[in-house]
Amino acid sequence: MKPEPSLSFFKVLKKSAVSFAATLPLLMGVILLVGMVQTLVSPQMIASLFGHGVLIDTVIGTAVGAVASGNPSIGYMVGGELLEQGISLFAITAFILSWVTLGLVGLPAEISVFGIRFTVVRNLLSLVFTFLISIATVMSVEALS
Amino acid sequence: MNLSDFKGIWFLLGVAVAYGVLWGFDPHSGLKALEKSGTIVWSLLPIFALVILITALVNYFLKPARFVKHFGADSGKKGWFLSLASGVLSHGPMYAWYPMLQEMRERGIRDGYLVAFLYARSIKIPLLPLMVEYFGWLFTIVLTFYILLGSWLQGVVSDRIGSKGP
Repeated sequence: MKPEPSLSFFKVLKKSAVSFAATLPLLMGVILLVGMVQTLVSPQMIASLFGHGVLIDTVIGTAVGAVASGNPSIGYMVGGELLEQGISLFAITAFILSWVTLGLVGLPAEISVFGIRFTVVRNLLSLVFTFLISIATVMSVEALS
Repeated sequence: MNLSDFKGIWFLLGVAVAYGVLWGFDPHSGLKALEKSGTIVWSLLPIFALVILITALVNYFLKPARFVKHFGADSGKKGWFLSLASGVLSHGPMYAWYPMLQEMRERGIRDGYLVAFLYARSIKIPLLPLMVEYFGWLFTIVLTFYILLGSWLQGVVSDRIGSKGP
């Protein structure tokens, strides 16, 4: 690949840094919100929401994962705790998937960067596919094991 | 840079007000939330640097015509592969990658590739051993397969719907 001849790499790097800096208020807002949610919503609180049957638990798993997004490793740990409590694997799979792919706290930033149409389409698709993938995964695992 | 060049000033102010309210009701939680946010910022610094570097590399090496060839409407299988692979390999939270994705979108990347990239990020290679530990090998392999398939399908559906934004 040949580089763009008109600008030096340093200038392109500087341009990228300036462009990144323009989004810093947005990123800081999201980070502060994530910090707040992580402080106010503990893993124990999340675990206490489950235990209402497969279908409702799967809906709860998706919703809670979307709201309380954070480090994926914490999502796996909460999922592991839920599994020990006997919560259905459908709900846990939906929870760990939506924990990473959906994010209500990041929604304002996503709308600001990509526009409302893209954000709505992407999040709706993620929501639907989180359900579908949870069902497909658990059914496949049960069939294979 | 003018103040108007910054994105999300009002959003940040709204969050600051929320912190003010939290501080008023529960100063201890307010302080704890701030400390947690500080820790997140600290952990994200290398990712921010990486995002700036990758954006610069893409802008430097890929002229608009070449960029569209790799990621535009007619880029086909190669574009899907690059989107899924880069999604799987990317670290950190989704929002850390928004600035880079915004630049790529302005240069003409297909929305479907962005959708596929963002969903494929749910596969975290460094955390796969942890997932195996909690849920077993079979579950991890099956879920990873369906995430990749689902990411691609979401991208295809997104392109069909036509989600082009601002």
